[in-house]
Amino acid sequence: MIPSDLRYHQEHEWVRVSGTQATLGISHFAQDALGDIVFIDLPKVGAVVKAGQQIGEVESTKTTSTIYTPLSGTIAKVNAELKDHPEVVNSDPYGKGWMVVIDLSNAGEVDKLMTAAQYEAFLSTQKH
Amino acid sequence: MPKHIAILGAGPGGYVAAIRAAQLGARVTVIESQALGGVCLNWGCIPSKALLSVVELGDKIKKAGPMGLHVSGPITYDLSQMVARKNQVVAGLVKGISTLFKAWNIEHVEGTGTIEDRQTVEVLLKEGTGRAITADAIVIATGSSWPNLPQFPIDGRQILTSQQLMDVQQIPSRLLIIGAGVEGCEFACLYSGLGTDVTVVEMMERILPLEDEEISSMMTRELKKRNVTVLTGTTVEVLDRNKTTITARFKDGASLEFEKLLVSVGRGFNSHGIGLEKVAVQTGRRGEILVNERMETTASGIYAIGDVTGKAMLAHVASAQGKVAVENIMGHRTTIQYDVIPAGIFTLPEIGRVGLTESQARERAEAREENAQASLKIGRFRFAALGKAQATGETTGFCKLIAHAASGKILGVHMVGTHAADLIHEAALAMQVGATVEQVADMIHAHPTLAEGLMEAAEDAEGKAIHQVRKRTS
Repeated sequence: MIPSDLRYHQEHEWVRVSGTQATLGISHFAQDALGDIVFIDLPKVGAVVKAGQQIGEVESTKTTSTIYTPLSGTIAKVNAELKDHPEVVNSDPYGKGWMVVIDLSNAGEVDKLMTAAQYEAFLSTQKH
Repeated sequence: MPKHIAILGAGPGGYVAAIRAAQLGARVTVIESQALGGVCLNWGCIPSKALLSVVELGDKIKKAGPMGLHVSGPITYDLSQMVARKNQVVAGLVKGISTLFKAWNIEHVEGTGTIEDRQTVEVLLKEGTGRAITADAIVIATGSSWPNLPQFPIDGRQILTSQQLMDVQQIPSRLLIIGAGVEGCEFACLYSGLGTDVTVVEMMERILPLEDEEISSMMTRELKKRNVTVLTGTTVEVLDRNKTTITARFKDGASLEFEKLLVSVGRGFNSHGIGLEKVAVQTGRRGEILVNERMETTASGIYAIGDVTGKAMLAHVASAQGKVAVENIMGHRTTIQYDVIPAGIFTLPEIGRVGLTESQARERAEAREENAQASLKIGRFRFAALGKAQATGETTGFCKLIAHAASGKILGVHMVGTHAADLIHEAALAMQVGATVEQVADMIHAHPTLAEGLMEAAEDAEGKAIHQVRKRTS
């Protein structure tokens, strides 16, 4: 359920690091907690973001939740598909439901993130 | 001899004052150079709702397929037909006022009035001649004027007021709206619905800066869903007018091209050129006429109501002030209360609000040296959890209630969602009669209705909403 090749943030974002870039999305746990997602507001390509900063919002039929970036850098790509099909994040959070690609400015920040095993342990401490 | 009252202006302040005065036995003369009903009826509230209602219907039809209603062919808007229908709606309502005036023997003098002395209004009649009207009391209900800022020169062709934009019969391709207040946001919904590429620019950090912050952030998302570009915390620095387009350069240096520009900032008070100086009616810093709670100006026998008094610039406040003014003229000691003023914003979806926003409630608590966090209780409820909202497919929206924790007094209620501007009145009545949050929660609400949202929000303030999972304590 929790892909082992990704790193995780306590706000339930995942990142897939490849060279100097990282792809970011929200975890299965996050999409499940949110329920049916109806709208995703994402930053613009070129926006400069800092680790810990709010970069967007996810609205579901139940609630609205903030998307944080655990990594600093510049937004290189945005998943335009989510504009018309936000429900993809529910059905494929680790794949087609990716949200942004960031050109990293401080790759060292990745080391602070949880591994899959650590995230799994972290989830078991979270009350549903 | 009955008292004779002269009223300058037949907007929602003036015409309502006229009818109430006639009911109380006065002889009434209303001086108005334009259509009865004023800005609200002719160029504001009513026509914009007439146009917005068509887009609202279109939005519904676009969602109809999955509900099992199939409409063949794409939806197309015929703006010239929409405008014609809007004009018909307005004409019908204007005629309605005229009928009421006749029924109450209210005289409508078509012309522009200037106060000569405390008992005389000099009217320049439409046909060019003059006529002096003497009266026992004068009510000034001259309203407010369209934006006229040097940096946005209205030309009626490319740079427009909302009045002018509502008569444009061809859907513009790209529209820039200056100011994301009530009017700016309503027009953003209207034109984005018609297929125009809309950008709104707001100088403040958020759209609808006077509303509760949660309302602003939800409406920002709703505008983005409609493909409206929302620019906040910035302004237009330079406008270049070309033959068919206008280029706007923003503070950050970015430039965008538009076909039309709507100026939704900077209304002025119509307090100039009406003879105030002759009778020593005092105005404030902004040019608004100063009045007390009986709507008396600083000159005895002269009253002022509506936008020109610079209070809440709302049609229904003008009407309420108008009733108070003429009741006092006729010897009844009534006063105006501004504590409970419900208001609607006719975005898609609608907004309804009454009372304080959360930040206003916090500021007041802090001013009383109370811990704002502890002294307030806030309840929220989402439309999506209401059976009625699910059944009708109108699930976007929420209700937020702010109450004083110790007393249970309701301080403010804010709603977004279908019919929010109608639904807000239950909260307004509760506030008006001093009902507590517990009393609202305990009142039986009919099922299935959207009104259950207020009951659940009141229950949520007490931590006991039924159709909501328990609040996380983290």
